[in-house]
Amino acid sequence: MGSHGNNLFGAVSSSVEAVTRPSHCDAISQQIRTFIQMRTNLKVVDNSGAKRVMCIQAKSGKYGAKLGDTIVGSVKEAQPRGKVKKGDVVYGVVVRAAMKKGRSDGSEVQFDDNAIVLVNNKGELIGTRVFGPVPHELRKKKHLKILALAEHIV
Amino acid sequence: MASAAATAAVSGVVLPHAFLSHRSSPPQLVAVASSFRRLSLCATPRRTTHLVARADASAEAGEPEPEAEAEPVSSSADAEEGEVEGAVAVAEAEEPPPPPSKPKVKFGEIIGILNKQFIEEAEKVKTVPDLRPGDIIELRMQRPNKRRLSLFKGIIIAKHKAGVHTTIRVRRIIAGVGVEITFPVYSPRIKEITVIRHKKVRRAKLYYLKHKLPRFSTFK
Repeated sequence: MGSHGNNLFGAVSSSVEAVTRPSHCDAISQQIRTFIQMRTNLKVVDNSGAKRVMCIQAKSGKYGAKLGDTIVGSVKEAQPRGKVKKGDVVYGVVVRAAMKKGRSDGSEVQFDDNAIVLVNNKGELIGTRVFGPVPHELRKKKHLKILALAEHIV
Repeated sequence: MASAAATAAVSGVVLPHAFLSHRSSPPQLVAVASSFRRLSLCATPRRTTHLVARADASAEAGEPEPEAEAEPVSSSADAEEGEVEGAVAVAEAEEPPPPPSKPKVKFGEIIGILNKQFIEEAEKVKTVPDLRPGDIIELRMQRPNKRRLSLFKGIIIAKHKAGVHTTIRVRRIIAGVGVEITFPVYSPRIKEITVIRHKKVRRAKLYYLKHKLPRFSTFK
């Protein structure tokens, strides 16, 4: 097994138990993905300047944040000249979650990674571009700007 | 109920439920017994509500149990004839042969029967092809307020069979990120599923694709 703990994009996935050299692929495959909670690392997929954010608090949800929820996070890694810098406390909207989100027609969607888009406390985007696919659950949460900027709506 | 079992064996009719089920079972066995010409109804002395079909008295001279007059309780086609003295064959020939008894539905089978009905209803609207893990499919789904059908492509990595809520999990790399969507196959929202190709796999669940290179989950 070449990948011990790394996911496809070379980033450390959140809510994944540290697996050291599993003997069989099933040990990783059958991890149950759970909510985004404190200490969860998330990827930032806009051009606000931050690269990784660690969740400090999920704004809603008893167990943690799901797809479409807002979190408070601390920037752990940032690009040199961006709108935010390392150590900032920011709000973010979860646009991709590794945990399944059910839809009203019986289907469920899940992504391969956890990703957020930074917003300010009023809900307005900090960045001007959004990368990667976003789910249309954001429409219900009234994050229409993110949907408008997205590359692909799932 | 040895005698009952014996009579059942003799008459060649196997009606386990009638004998073993609750006390107030309707005498459906009466209808079955009609295939035999001269039958009489009598109740076993121990359970008066149980009706035992017996062959003609001549054939069963050695039957130990005494014949008692039958008073069938429920609405059988031959109810009126049961009221007559139970001994000899009452004029079965007078009545048209009652329809064969419907097989009794066991309580545990109801969900299976309902599932089959739902699946039949769904199949009338669209045909669902045979889907296996490893199939690369194209799926068209109706979204609530949209006019056009949205299109989903991908490889089936899992099929979870649950009657009418049979679901398939479809994986694809979209815009650089892997996405897995679980679709209920018999949902009315899904208008069409077509299998484009098939990839040979040696598993029923292809969860390992998550950890492989993205190019294995990319489909044009």
